[in-house]
Amino acid sequence: MKKLTWKDDLRPVPFLLAFFVAYVLFTIYPIFKGMQMSFFNWTLIEQQEFIGMTHYINVLSDPNFWEAFGNTSLFVLLSTPTMVILALGLALMANLNTRLQTFFRGSFFIPSILSVSVISFVAIFMLQPYTGVVNNLLQAVGLDAEPFWLATPSLAWVSIIAVTLWWTVGFNMILFLTALQGIPEELYEAAEVDGATRQQMFWQITLPQLLPIGRLILLLQVLASFKVFAQILLITDGGPGTTTRPIILYIYEMGFQRYDLGYAAAMSYLLFMVLLVLSVIQLRLGGKEGRML
Amino acid sequence: MSQSVLTTKRDPFRWLKVSIAFLSALAFLFPIVWMFFVSMKPEGTAASSAIDWFLPPYTFSNYVNIIAGSDVFLWIWNSFFVGAVTTLLTLVLTSMAAFAFSKMRFRYRKALYLFFLAGLMVPGEAMIIPLYEIVGSMGLLDTYAGLILPGIAAPLGVIILKSFFDGVPNELIESARLDGCSDFRLYWSIVLPLAKAAVAAVGILTFIGSWNNFLWPYLAIISEALYTLPVGIPMFNSNYSETYILPMTVNAIASLPVIIAFLFFEKQIVKGVSFSGIKG
Repeated sequence: MKKLTWKDDLRPVPFLLAFFVAYVLFTIYPIFKGMQMSFFNWTLIEQQEFIGMTHYINVLSDPNFWEAFGNTSLFVLLSTPTMVILALGLALMANLNTRLQTFFRGSFFIPSILSVSVISFVAIFMLQPYTGVVNNLLQAVGLDAEPFWLATPSLAWVSIIAVTLWWTVGFNMILFLTALQGIPEELYEAAEVDGATRQQMFWQITLPQLLPIGRLILLLQVLASFKVFAQILLITDGGPGTTTRPIILYIYEMGFQRYDLGYAAAMSYLLFMVLLVLSVIQLRLGGKEGRML
Repeated sequence: MSQSVLTTKRDPFRWLKVSIAFLSALAFLFPIVWMFFVSMKPEGTAASSAIDWFLPPYTFSNYVNIIAGSDVFLWIWNSFFVGAVTTLLTLVLTSMAAFAFSKMRFRYRKALYLFFLAGLMVPGEAMIIPLYEIVGSMGLLDTYAGLILPGIAAPLGVIILKSFFDGVPNELIESARLDGCSDFRLYWSIVLPLAKAAVAAVGILTFIGSWNNFLWPYLAIISEALYTLPVGIPMFNSNYSETYILPMTVNAIASLPVIIAFLFFEKQIVKGVSFSGIKG
């Protein structure tokens, strides 16, 4: 091939320029701006003053930060494996060869397209003690207790995770379903010839074939779950007390309710670092399917 | 779909699996169905048991009240407008970039592509503080532009579209070039039409993302006239802590357009989601 000249270099410019400008301005520049802010005493009113690592030192000794970080980690640990297994189960159901296939797929997916605001409000109303439909159903099956779902820390977590699963599992279900439908039919035919049972086919063909997409879903889900925010803000607002407050909610409170943007930026930066490490792990472990770069 | 081994081979537990799937589907739909029933109850209804919500009396007066007396249509319009403009700009920007990466040779192409892909690793949620500061210093807080612009340069779109443009045969491109076809016409009249399905899928995914975006509009908007649906709903609901019925009507009205759109575009939505799982 002939050597590239400056003319070749100029040709893509009109195609790349607009994307480049928007990307640098709203994706790359915030990274540097955030770093700058985290070194300053940056509030909405006060004079901006360079204070070096002070915010970072304060954040790392702030028990609220660690509590929020622990809450977020707890959410990731509890919700992610459940999410992946549930998504797989639903995909297997949606892949059953029946006339109801489209109905199954649609039902599992529809909650994902509803607004988080709708989802959260419906959840709050359903989980009300005495009048909520969940407690009513529990009583209908003979449970006598009257759980205060959103006022008890452990139950608040259960509620948030259940709502999150219901709301978002559809996306992962579709990814599993696509992979299921992409498994070469010959594999099953060959197994059939060898006299394999359905169970053997599932464990030795279906599951191994789904492993790469499953790993990708798991890693993407960990990254996504670390950023949990909206449904918690709307359902419990971090309560009772601060027992369900995730890291982004704490960042939000410091930044936009107490106007300490520098402190909030420092916390954002620490979160960014954690997510970056997780992304790199993903690139390493993701295999061919998970390789983004 | 052709008859697969798994479907022809008799499965003794088939009825059980289908039944479980059916019950699961009902469980997934239950809160939504329930929402619509509650939205039709007369104001001030006190339901002591779950079944009461599903039984008459029903009324449409809540819908009439909400439509006449709230800004729900304004929020729907704002969400639609922001979503449509965001989607249109995203599609133009990402498809042009993807075209350059797929069909042009230039120095540092690979490095630039990697630079764009690296954006996938930048978590928007962790960058809201500096983004707020930047958009604020541009004077765009509390404007449509401030809602739209931060969302338009999405690397995922470039990746998905590039992988589709790569499928357009290079011989086609070369022969068109020999006929004197300009780069822009090549992009607009040859490559883009051939990748229609992928463009539609990316567009739908972008639109859903924007339509449901909560955090950024929640921060960037102060004026009620600019509220999008996800921001308007909680603001409305917080004014009604005593009765749940009117807020539920707002939720139902907000959900109807997306549910109808889903029934129309299910294929494209599913395709879009499955593309988003393909990386690199």
